[in-house]
Amino acid sequence: MIENPCILTDVTRCIGCEECVLACQKANGLPEAETPPRPGDPLDGLDANRWTTVVRREGNRFVRKQCRHCLEPACVSVCPVGALKKTPEGPVIYDKSICMGCRYCMLGCPFGIPRYEWNSVAPSVRKCILCYENMKSGKLEKPACVAACPKEATLFGTREAMLAEARRRLQAEPKKYIQKIWGEREAGGTSVLYIADISLDFLAWNEGRQLDEKPLPARTWAALWPVPIEFVGMGALMGGIYWVIERRRRLAGAAPEGKEGGHGE
Amino acid sequence: MENNRAFVVKAILWFVAGLGAAVALLRFTLGLGTATALSDTTPWGLWIGFDVMGGVALAAGGFVMAALVHVFHREKYHDAARPAILTAFLGYGAVAVGLVFDLGLPWHIWHPIIFWNFRSPLFEVAWCVMLYLTVLALEVAPVILVKTPFQRAYRFLTKLALPIMILGIMLSTLHQSSLGTMLLIMPFRVHPLWYTPLLPEVFFVSAICLGLTMVLFEHLTTSWVYRREPNGPMVEGLARLASFGLAFYLLFRLGDLFRQGKLGLAFDGSFMGNLFLVEIFLSALLPMVALAVPAVRRSPNAVWAFSLSSVLGFVLNRINASGLSQVWATKTFYFPAWMEFAISLSIVAACALVFFFIEEHFPVNPHHLEKAEAERRAAALRTPAFAPFTQVWLGLGWRKAARVYSLLFVLAMAIGLTVAPKGEPARDPAVQRARGGEVLRLGAGPRYVYFNHKKHADSVKEAGGCGVCHHLHKPGDQGTPCSECHSRRYEATRIFDHDRHVAALQGKAGCGRCHGEGAEKSLTPRKPCEECHKKDMVASAEVVKSFRSLEAPGYRKALHGMCIPCHREKAKDPALKKPDLFRCGTCHNDGTESERAYRSLFPEPGEKAGRS
Repeated sequence: MIENPCILTDVTRCIGCEECVLACQKANGLPEAETPPRPGDPLDGLDANRWTTVVRREGNRFVRKQCRHCLEPACVSVCPVGALKKTPEGPVIYDKSICMGCRYCMLGCPFGIPRYEWNSVAPSVRKCILCYENMKSGKLEKPACVAACPKEATLFGTREAMLAEARRRLQAEPKKYIQKIWGEREAGGTSVLYIADISLDFLAWNEGRQLDEKPLPARTWAALWPVPIEFVGMGALMGGIYWVIERRRRLAGAAPEGKEGGHGE
Repeated sequence: MENNRAFVVKAILWFVAGLGAAVALLRFTLGLGTATALSDTTPWGLWIGFDVMGGVALAAGGFVMAALVHVFHREKYHDAARPAILTAFLGYGAVAVGLVFDLGLPWHIWHPIIFWNFRSPLFEVAWCVMLYLTVLALEVAPVILVKTPFQRAYRFLTKLALPIMILGIMLSTLHQSSLGTMLLIMPFRVHPLWYTPLLPEVFFVSAICLGLTMVLFEHLTTSWVYRREPNGPMVEGLARLASFGLAFYLLFRLGDLFRQGKLGLAFDGSFMGNLFLVEIFLSALLPMVALAVPAVRRSPNAVWAFSLSSVLGFVLNRINASGLSQVWATKTFYFPAWMEFAISLSIVAACALVFFFIEEHFPVNPHHLEKAEAERRAAALRTPAFAPFTQVWLGLGWRKAARVYSLLFVLAMAIGLTVAPKGEPARDPAVQRARGGEVLRLGAGPRYVYFNHKKHADSVKEAGGCGVCHHLHKPGDQGTPCSECHSRRYEATRIFDHDRHVAALQGKAGCGRCHGEGAEKSLTPRKPCEECHKKDMVASAEVVKSFRSLEAPGYRKALHGMCIPCHREKAKDPALKKPDLFRCGTCHNDGTESERAYRSLFPEPGEKAGRS
C-alpha cells in the first residue's frame, strides 16, 4: 500500500451516478437496506451503511462526501481509548472492540462525517476507512469508490501527486475552476482533496466558521499538556496553605476551635 | 410528631425512580435510538449536558467545602462539609450511572484503564472520575465505618483524612476544568459566546461558585425536609463567600469576552445572545447582587431562592456549552425525549434517596442522627396505619413506608412500560399518492420528482405497455399506483394479507390450496402466487421475475430500482443521444418542463419550488 494515500475529487466531472456509493457498499460488505433518517439527521445521504454519498447542489453540481482522513484528525485525538487510529500509511480506521460508544468523535469531526447505529443495541461508529484492509491485503489497488467512477471524477494517488494534479488542472483551465484546493490546508490539511467550480465551504461544519488552518488537536493539547504541573501545583498550594495556617494557629497558642475569624475572602 | 414532609418527598422520589427503571429496561433492550431523541447532528444530549456536565459541576461543593474547612480551617462551616462531601460522592456516582446509560457500548466503560490516549480530554475526564470517586469513597467511608465493627479501618482512614482531602481537591481542579477542555476541539460547533481558549478556567471558577451555592441550597433544603433550624451564621458566611465568588466569575467571564471583542454578540437580540443573558442573570448577576445584601443573607428563604437560581443558572451553563449553544452551528433543535428526562430525574431521585438514608442512619451530623433514631423509636410505638382507600393494614413505622414506596415504584414502572414506544421506529413517513394527470408529482417535498407519465407510457408502448412498470395490480384493479404497496418511504411493507386469503378460500379448498396436502404440506406456500394471480402479476415487468418476497420495499428504494436501471440502459443508446439520462438531476431537477406542466395544472401559491 502506498504511503500518504489521497483522493482527489473533481466536482466539475461528477455526474452524480452514485456508482461510488454502490461500490463502497459492496467492498465493505454493507447492507443495501436503507435506514430511515432520524429527526434532525443531516440529510446528506451519509449513514451507518453509506460511507460515501453524493450531495446535489444548485445548478446540477454533484459533490461526493466522505471521511477526509485528516493529516491531524480531531476524531483520533479526542477518542479517549484510541478506538479510532491514524494508521502509519494515513487512513483513519476504527476498532469496535475498543470503542466505548461515547460519540465524542462525532462532535470533534469538523466535517460531520462519523455516523452512529442508533437503532442497534451494540452500536458502532461508522465511516469511510479508505478501504484500508482491502488495500493492505492487496485485494484492492485503489479504494473501491475511485475504481468504480465512470467519469474519472475521483482519482487516487499519493497526496503529493494529487496536489500536483489539482494544481495542474487549476492552471490548465483557470476560468473553469475556483482557484482553491479544498482540503489542502483546512484543519491542518486532509487526505481527500476537492477542486470545483462552486464553493465547497458547505462541506465543513457551520460553513467552516471558526475553522482555521491550525490543526484542531492543537487546541486541546494547549490545555492538556500543563495538566501534570497543575495537579502537582494545586497539591503543593493546598499543602502549603494548610501548613502556614496550622503553624500560625499553633503559634497563636491553641486558639479555641470554632471561634475562627468569621469571613473568608 | 411524625415527619410527613420527609415521607411525601421520599414517596415522590420513589415514584420517579420507578419511572426511570422502566426506561432503563427500554434503553438497554432496544438501544439509544428508541429511548432518546439523539441524532447524528446532535450526538450528545440531556444525559451528557445535565447528568455528566451538570452532575460533576453540582458535586463541586465537595471539594470547595473540603478546602474551606480542612485546609483553610474555617471551622464554622464544619456542619456543611460532611453533607457536601457525601453529595459529591453521590453526584459522581450519578455521573458514572448516567454514563452507563449514555455510552453506546457501556460494558466497555472500563476501557480507559487499559487503553490510553493522553491527547484526549475525555481520557483525562475518565481518569479523574475513577480516581476522585475512589477518593470520595474514602472520604465518606469513616461516616459509615464508625457504625460498623471495622473500627481499625475507621481509625486508619481518619488518620489519613487530610492527605485524602488534598488529593480530592487536586483531582477536582483537574476534573472541573477538563470538562471545559473537552469543548475546545469544537470551535465550529460551540457558539462564540461560550467558546474561549479559557474554557477550562471558566469551568473551574464557575464550579467553585456553584459549589458554594449548591451547599447552601442543599443545607436549607434538608433543613426544611427534616424540620430543622438552619445554621444561621454558616448560611450567612457561605452566602457572603458566594457573592464574592460570583462577582469574580462575572468579571472573569465578561472580561474574557471583552478581550476577544465578542461581548457585543450578547446584545444582538438573537436566540443565542438572549440565552447567554438569561444564563448570566440567573447564575451570577442576580444571586451576586442579592446575596451582597446582609438582610437577604439573614433570611433562609431568600438565600434558598437565590442559591437555587444560581444552581439552575450554572446547570444551564453546562447544558448551553455542551449542547444548546451548538444549535447555532447545527441549525437543528434537539429536544430530549421524555425518556431522557425520566432517566435524568430518576438518577437524581435515587441519589437523593441514598442521601436521605445515610443522613438518617449514619452520623453525617451526630446530633441529627440522635434525633432521627429517637423519632424512629417513637414511630414504632404508634398505632398501625391503614391505606386511605383500600383500608389495608400497612404495618408500623418503616414497614408502612416501605410498602407505600414499593407500591409507587412498581406503579411508576408499569406506567412507564405502558407509555414507552415498543421499539418500532415509527418515524418512517407515509408516502403520499402521486398527484396530477399527464405529469405526476412523486415523492415528498421539497424534492419532488415531476414525472411525465404520458411520455413514459408512450415510450413503452411497444415494449409491453403499462405492465413494464406496473408490475402488480390489486385484485380487480388495473395500473395500481406505486404508493398502494410501497406505502412507507424507507421501510418495507408487508403486502400479503393472510386473513384475507383464508377468508376467500375457506369454502373452496382451505389451506391445502397454497400449503399443499399430505407429504407435500409445508409452512411456506407450495404454489407460486402467479398461478392464481396471473391477471394481477404482470409478466412483462422485470420485477415480477424475481418476485419472491411478500414485502414491498420502501418507496424510495422501489422507485430508484424502477427508474435507474432503465435510464442507465437508455443512456448507453447512441440513437437516443441522451447520455445525461443517467444522472440524479434528470429526475431530481427544478424548473423542468414537466414541473412547469404540472404547476400550470396545480398552482400552489404557498408552495416553494424545491431546493437542495
